[in-house]
Amino acid sequence: MMSISDALLQLWDSQQNYFVSSGSLSTWAWIAGSIIAYVVALKINRIGKGSPLLHPIIIASLLIAFTMWLTNFSVFDYREHARPLQWLLGPATVALALPMFNQWKAIKHLGWRLIVAVAIGGVVAPVLAWACVFATNAPLAIQMTMLTKSITSPLAMETSRIIGGVGDLAAVFVIITGIIGAMVVPGIFKLFAVHDQRAQGVALGSVCHAVGTAKAIQMDELTGAMATIGLCVNGIMTALVLPLLFS
Amino acid sequence: MTGISQFVRGMLAILLCYWAGEFIVILFQLPLPGALLGLVLLLSFLLLREREPVSVSRAGQPLLKHMALLFIPAVVGVGAYSNQIIDNALGLFLAIFVSTLVSLGLSAKLGQYVLASRAK
Repeated sequence: MMSISDALLQLWDSQQNYFVSSGSLSTWAWIAGSIIAYVVALKINRIGKGSPLLHPIIIASLLIAFTMWLTNFSVFDYREHARPLQWLLGPATVALALPMFNQWKAIKHLGWRLIVAVAIGGVVAPVLAWACVFATNAPLAIQMTMLTKSITSPLAMETSRIIGGVGDLAAVFVIITGIIGAMVVPGIFKLFAVHDQRAQGVALGSVCHAVGTAKAIQMDELTGAMATIGLCVNGIMTALVLPLLFS
Repeated sequence: MTGISQFVRGMLAILLCYWAGEFIVILFQLPLPGALLGLVLLLSFLLLREREPVSVSRAGQPLLKHMALLFIPAVVGVGAYSNQIIDNALGLFLAIFVSTLVSLGLSAKLGQYVLASRAK
């Protein structure tokens, strides 16, 4: 344990690190650009009737990448300038307490069964994914990153950094996982003969995090509520367990 | 109370939980994301109060709804890792595409057995 003043100092340092570039005009230009790209992406997604393939993140990132290509701006520079946006992920993670609180009655009602059902998804998904990259001899950093691919991005980024993975890669793995899952899920549930909406929701939330949860909410209210639980409970369990195992 | 002052108060509550989480993680050198601890703090606070203060949801809901915006830097930043991605394309494809399908089906199937004995 370090002294309280040292810890406060370190906290201050780590927080202001997100804002070192905030004095420069191009930082705000890129942040404004990101917001515009996001708003345009939301519009396009709505026109496409919410198809997971037209996920706002994908479209917005392509728009930003295109702008970078036009203006000859490097990825590294963009990331530096966009750090205030990334900082907001911290408070956004904390805000996940809200849906969790709203589902608290359902969590208490189902009790340990729910935890077991979530844990199944929480173990099966990363182990299978890890086995794929292990079998193909991917570097250790990628193997570690893959272990976090089923939890919500802000937790995945932090957790994979702690266990020796790559934060940015984690975000991409997580998002593509969610999009793929949301696209194939109706067929998969038919194939595996899963009719229980609660089981469908828990699997969607615990394997495909927020993108899966959004899909679950579209499918049915109960499915959506269970997916929210899967998302939150698995996110917390994985972010707690992985660092204990690997750091 | 106006909407703006509720938003500010709610945001302050969320930020305090976030900073407290980060602070505890640094102080005790815990191998955990600080924001996760912040989540647990806010959840405990909500459970103790037994209801969701309007201010917290007013500040929290927009953050949740537009979280996608906050991932754009990370997703764009993946361009910096294009070499590693191309070098490991097969493994990544299997892990992200194929294993996700199997995991979804398998965990829903097993979850159905576990939940079956408890009525809706």
